[in-house]
Amino acid sequence: MAVLLKTPLFDEHVALGGKIVPFAGYELPVQYSDGALKEYTAVREGEAGIFDITHMGQVRVTGVDSLKFLQFVTTNDVAALVDGQVQYSALLNAQGTFIDDITTYKTNDTAYYLCINAANRHKDVAHLQAQATKFDVVVSDESDATTLLALQGAKAQTALQNLVDVDLENIGYYKFAEVQVLGVDGIVSRTGYTGEDGFEIYIPNAIAVDVWKALLNHGAVPIGLAARDMLRTEMGYALYGHEISDGVTPVEAKLMWITKLAKGDFIGKAAVETRKAEGAQKRLLALKLTDRGIPREHYKVFVDGVESGEITSGMHSPLAGGGVALAYVKPEHVTEGQLSVEIRGKLVAAERTTTPFVRSNVRKV
Amino acid sequence: MSIPAGLKYSKDHEWVRIEGDTATFGISDHAQEALGDIVFVELPEVGRAITAGDAYAVVESVKAVSDVYAPVTGEVIEVNEGLEAEPEKVNTEPYGAGWIVKVKVAADVDTSHLMSDDEYNTFLEE
Repeated sequence: MAVLLKTPLFDEHVALGGKIVPFAGYELPVQYSDGALKEYTAVREGEAGIFDITHMGQVRVTGVDSLKFLQFVTTNDVAALVDGQVQYSALLNAQGTFIDDITTYKTNDTAYYLCINAANRHKDVAHLQAQATKFDVVVSDESDATTLLALQGAKAQTALQNLVDVDLENIGYYKFAEVQVLGVDGIVSRTGYTGEDGFEIYIPNAIAVDVWKALLNHGAVPIGLAARDMLRTEMGYALYGHEISDGVTPVEAKLMWITKLAKGDFIGKAAVETRKAEGAQKRLLALKLTDRGIPREHYKVFVDGVESGEITSGMHSPLAGGGVALAYVKPEHVTEGQLSVEIRGKLVAAERTTTPFVRSNVRKV
Repeated sequence: MSIPAGLKYSKDHEWVRIEGDTATFGISDHAQEALGDIVFVELPEVGRAITAGDAYAVVESVKAVSDVYAPVTGEVIEVNEGLEAEPEKVNTEPYGAGWIVKVKVAADVDTSHLMSDDEYNTFLEE
């Protein structure tokens, strides 16, 4: 096991009572002194929560072939992006399974920015750089120099407005701007992983502590990994290593909406088309327990008393008032049969539902 | 960290209050603090015979599932059904409304493996 890394905000987390755990190669707070439930509630019920997600990676892609390159290595249609727009997308391997899920930021036709998962960073960068040799592009890993904060919740815009030189009202959902944050160049996007309105803020490490403290002074509440996972699970958002992995294609993961087969060739396309034609062996399903219990990752899902699959993410949802989960089941069980979840040897009844499990408050435009 | 006198404590951070032939079980303030926000408690059936050291209940926090071990041997005579609606009582009142079960114990119930409040305090500091 390699030495765990610290983000520039490590001392701030400790000072705020953060309970530090290893996560994706970093030492990060799973919760602060008030606990995960209060943090979750602050974000869901109108505050602004601040998350240190510096462990996420950032890759800059520049050069005349940038568009052509990204059309080839990502699943979504990069040509559909306008300057200043963000797109949820994925990197697939030749087998059509996930290397990672990512967001693509378009500055202009020759400059893009990718946000990637921490645990996949080195794998992603190696893959992108290997593919880049066939194009006139430069792929640079800027992760180590960049601090990434998420500011999420109804008061996010008010808290952040004090620190930046643009009117945040003009940044729409899944749009971004290159701005001055406390007078230093950064990127602010109206994106997130919680289902609340809010922003993700890319800044150089040198101002990380200043920005963190300024946001706390403007009322932001620090949020740890546990509440972050509750918030994303309630939205039904996929997480690498759970709903998506190198064992599934977008067909199984219900991510064909980010996989544009009509855009031209891309890595994994042929395999995805084959999988789509042949049919998947399993499919992602959203379920809610109708009896008491908490469905958790790896618990088995039964249909009509026979094992059909297993849970990838699950939780007790305070807002949904019970256990909710995402699970892979046999394709026919997405619509048919009586569901139950095995919890400590007992079958607990469940029903099909849709995601998000609770109301999303993201801005519509 | 609260460690009331008059209770006995196990190395697994359970407490027991013995009054006559009835013993009340719960988890210590230290244990609830370490577990974090409790969102679910699975209680045993009334009438179940449990032996000291048995996992007799399960508490689930936001992130973790943890067994709760019996500090002494006995038979479950009452479970704290209030925890179904308010599992957070285990966090807020671990020695009061957050009790888990009441157990009927023998007159000569063995508590020799348990600690007093002072001993438990020392145990936590070590």
